[in-house]
Order: sequence, then C-alpha cells, then structure tokens
Amino acid sequence: MTIQISHYLILSAVLFSIGAAGFLVRRNSLVALMCIELMLNAVNLTLIAFNRWMPANAAGAVPVHGHVFAFFVIAVAAAEAALGLAIVLSLYRIRKVVRTDDANLMKE
Amino acid sequence: MKDLLLYLLPIVILFIGGFTLMLVDAFQKEEGGLAVPTAMLHFAAAAAALALWPYAGNAADLARAQVAFNGWLAFDRTTLFLDITIALGGGLATLLAGSYLNEHKLERGEYYTLITFASAGCMMLAGATDLIMVFIGLETLSLGVYALTGFRRTSARSQEGALKYFLLGSFAAALLLYGSALLYGMTGHTDLAGIRDALSRAVEMPQIAGQDGAAQFVAVQQTVRDRVTILAMVLIVAGLAFKVGAVPFHMWTPDAYEGAPTPATAYMAVTVKAAAFGAMLRVLIGVFGDTTGSASLAGGWPGLLVWLAVLSMLVGNLVALAQSNVKRMLAYSSIAHGGYILAAFVVAPRAEPMPGGGGSIGQGAAAAVLFYLLAYTVSNVGAFGALILAGRRGKEAVSYEDLAGLGKRHPAVALALSFFVLSLAGMPPTVGFFAKYNVIRSAVEAGYSWLALAVVINSAMGVYYYLRVMVKMYMHDPQPGAVRAEPMDSPATSLTLIAAAFMVLVLGMMPQRFYGYALEAVKLAAAPVAAAPADAPAAAAAEAGNPR
Repeated sequence: MTIQISHYLILSAVLFSIGAAGFLVRRNSLVALMCIELMLNAVNLTLIAFNRWMPANAAGAVPVHGHVFAFFVIAVAAAEAALGLAIVLSLYRIRKVVRTDDANLMKE
Repeated sequence: MKDLLLYLLPIVILFIGGFTLMLVDAFQKEEGGLAVPTAMLHFAAAAAALALWPYAGNAADLARAQVAFNGWLAFDRTTLFLDITIALGGGLATLLAGSYLNEHKLERGEYYTLITFASAGCMMLAGATDLIMVFIGLETLSLGVYALTGFRRTSARSQEGALKYFLLGSFAAALLLYGSALLYGMTGHTDLAGIRDALSRAVEMPQIAGQDGAAQFVAVQQTVRDRVTILAMVLIVAGLAFKVGAVPFHMWTPDAYEGAPTPATAYMAVTVKAAAFGAMLRVLIGVFGDTTGSASLAGGWPGLLVWLAVLSMLVGNLVALAQSNVKRMLAYSSIAHGGYILAAFVVAPRAEPMPGGGGSIGQGAAAAVLFYLLAYTVSNVGAFGALILAGRRGKEAVSYEDLAGLGKRHPAVALALSFFVLSLAGMPPTVGFFAKYNVIRSAVEAGYSWLALAVVINSAMGVYYYLRVMVKMYMHDPQPGAVRAEPMDSPATSLTLIAAAFMVLVLGMMPQRFYGYALEAVKLAAAPVAAAPADAPAAAAAEAGNPR
C-alpha cells in the first residue's frame, strides 16, 4: 500500500483533535501549552502535505505557498511559546500554581 | 520599493518608530517620557493614512499599490479607515498610559514598544488580503497585547488575565490556522482573491504528475471540497470571533479586561476589535461573500453569525447587569457592542440597492460596521480614560461603590465619565446613537426586522447599567468608612479626555458626513482584483519566478 495524501491528512486531523481535546480537558497550563503546539504542528503537517500534492502550474513552477506558510507558523509558534512560558512562570512566582483551575481570583 | 514604502506609510511609521523606541529605552538613563512620542507616532500614522486617502481613489495609484503589495495587503479606503481608527485609539490609549503608569509606579519603557508593534500588527491584520498575512498580523498584535495584559507583574490578577487571554487566544489562532490550511489545500491559494476565484469555479482535476513523477494528484470530488470549505469557514469564523470576544468565544474577555492595567484595557478593547472585524469583513465578504460559486454552501455564514450576534448581545448585556466592578461591566458591555457590530455583518453580503440610493444594502451595512468601530473607539477610550482619571494609587475607581458621591466631590470627573458612558449607551447627541442607528437601519432594510428589534431591546438593557454608573455618582453618598475613589491629578489625562470628547461630539454632530466616508471606503474596496490566473499562458512567464 502506498502512502497517499489522505493518510497525512487523517494523521494531522487526529493530531489536531488530540491537541484540541487535550486543551479543553486538561487543567495544567503547561499541558495546555503543549496541546497548542500539537495543534500548530498538525496545521504544519496539513500545509506541507497539501503543498506536496499540488501540481506544478503550466510553466512548470512548483507551488511553495504551503511550505512558506509552515515556516511562518513555526517561527510564530516559537515566539508564542516563549511568551506563554513567561506568563506561566510569572503567575507561578506570585501564586505558586500552574493549574488553570487555581487561576480563579476573578470569578464572579 | 518606493511604492511599497509610500502606500504602506502608516505601518512603516509604526514599525520604524517601534524600533527607535526600543533603542531609546535601552540607552536612556531614566524610565519614562516615552508616552508622548509614542502617541505622536500613532497620530503620525493616522495623519499618513489620512494623506493617503485621496490616493486610494485613484486608479493609477491603486494599480501601482497592487503591484507593490503583490497580493499580500490591500491598499484601499477600507484599510485606511481602519488604520485611522486603530491609530486614533492607540494614540489616545497611549496618552492615558503615560499618566496611569506613572501614578501606579509601573513606568517601564517596553510598554510603549509593545503598544507600537501591536498597533502595526493591527494595521497588518486590517489590511491583509492573504491568509499568511492574516496570521502574521493577528499574532503580531496578539503577542503584544498578551504582554500588555500581564504588564502588572506583581499583580496575580494581571497574570491570571494574561494567562487566560494567552491560552484561549493561541487556541483560537490554531483554529484559524487549520481553517487556512484546509482552504489552501482545497484551492492551492493563500491569497483571498485566488481562493475566491478557485472556489467559484467548478472542480477541474487534471491528472498531472506530482513533484516526484508519480501520479499523485487525485481529483477532489466536488462534494468533498464543498464540505471541507464549510469546515474551513467555520474554523476561520471561530478564530476571528475569539479575537473580537463574541459569545460563545468570550470567556477570556472579562478576566483579561479586568486584570490588565486600565490603559491597556482601553487599548485592546478598541484596536483589536477594529483589526479583527476588518479581517472578518475581508475574509467573509471577499472569499465567501460570492454565493454563486461551486462552494456556495460556505456562503451560509450569515446564518452562523446571526446567532453569534444575538448571543453576544444577550449574554453580554445580561451579565453586565450583574456586575459590581465597573471595569468588568465595561468588559461585558464590549461583548454586547461586538454583538451589535456582528448584527450589521449579517446583512453585509446583500446586494440589493439601498432604498435611499447610494449603494447596496450590504455596502451600507459594511459602512455601518466601520462607523461603529470608529464611534466605539472614541467613546470607549474616553470611558476607560475617565475611569483612570477617577482613581489615584491606592484609591482606584474599581467598583460602583467606589464611585458613590463622586458627582458632588469631583463634578468634572463625574461629568466626563457620564458623557462617555452616555455615548456608549447610545444617547442622541453623542456618536453612540448614530452608530446603533446605522446598524438598525441596515438590518431593517435587509428585512431582518427581528434582528433590529433585538438590537433595540438590548440597547435598552444596556442603558440600565450605564445609567447605574451615573446614579451612583450623582445620587448616592459613600458609605461611612468605605474606600472612596480620589481622582488623580493629571492634566495629560484630562486633555486626552477632552480630545476624545471632542471627537465624540464632532462625530455625533455630523454623523452623515462620517458615515458617508465609511460608505465611500467600503465601495472602493468592493472589487479586489485577483492575482494572475494560474492557467493563463501570458502569465506563465511571470509565474515561473513567482508561483502565485
């Protein structure tokens, strides 16, 4: 059996769902951060798989937008993770908690 | 390059200014003093956008900008209108920050760098015509605003607000990205015009060899593409709805608004909304607005948005009624305002002519969105500014009780807060009234009478909690021994409030004129030109260098 685009797409959809479900279910903010990374990587896999599958145009130029998009996602995800960890750390310094349930000072 | 810098002037000013501010902050000996230069940068960006306004009506300039931007960003009056809104909101919020940070011993230079880059990100998002650009603009503004939310580093509330905003915001960005990736896969384009073109054509699937020679390119069936396109549309709408804080994606809003330093709250309440609604306008109308295409089912988004609009209005207003904290009340009311704007969005794709003439109903509704954003920006910055002015360090104005008797003790501050709150409530001489009026009129013209009725009922509900602020200030006395808000002594804040009040009044005196500008802005953006079609032989040579 050859591996086709559908395999990649199903894998990335599963990864994305695991990330989204984990984000919604788990209460640890570090796990939530990891789940977001998982979702972003699922997006990257989708982009790359689709780009690989795209035909070259009439002039023979190979499409690259998916690859370029994936690079931007990787770069931005790194910046996002840095900021996210900084916020988690900063909350931990004050309250010594990392669970999102414990971040409850402002409940009405 | 010259064209690029010229037509991108507002963003260029902010980016260069941001880098300069960073350097100045690194090398200056004492903290502080950056608020006024930062505000000036914002006002310079607004002036640049204003100066570019005539160019955006000129076909030759539009063509040159099209070439210079190469499909990444739009140069049109919609973008310029939003740029002006963002720059005004950002500039006023920065002026407020100057005295607030000083008063509360938070003065650190990075605040101004963050706000400048975030504004540039807002403008990128507002002008983006490519999904990659949408993502970069969104993240540029979001990362700045997350950091601003957590700016009070010693305050647990501030950190909590930042954490919730960050986690939910990143989740939303991931949803938006997955939607973008699916759209890319279905069409082969990331630029909005290309996506729209590809979607409006029937599926044609040549069996072309893949990159490694094997026949990989298997046809996507029409039904599959239709379904995936709908899924992508839903994901993109959800991602953007998170950013504007529409119910049911609003959970972060009250906590982030309450936790953030008040000038940062003012900033993110107005600019992020303007940018995200701008992107929504471009994506939903630009890509899915055309219901004649093969993937016309995704053109059903107004049916989705109408629920978001009604829920945002209802939940925002009902929960705002129950608040005891004024800042939190303003947060929930901003959700309700998002709902009113979404109500205008629902009719934005309608192409029938307006009864009074002057464009289609859809254009009238899109103009109502732009006008509402501008009105909301000046009113809301004013309301938060008056709240800042009403409290000094240790005696902040937080709850309704803090404000009791303020009308007797400090009539000027109470008057300022009342004025902006009345504009938010939509009282006639102020601009808030006309903003709501335009939304209601668009809904009625399109035959959505019940939606117009929902807006009216919800506005009435809003009047109750806005008036409660005034009742507390003018008709109640503070309880003995309770903490009372003491206004801070800040001419800069007062001047900012006067400027905002001036704009609220001018917009309220001449609503037709400014609505006319908004209408003009929308009309000229009506027809985005597609990038070179992929299969035209003449374009093939250019494609080789730039496969777009």
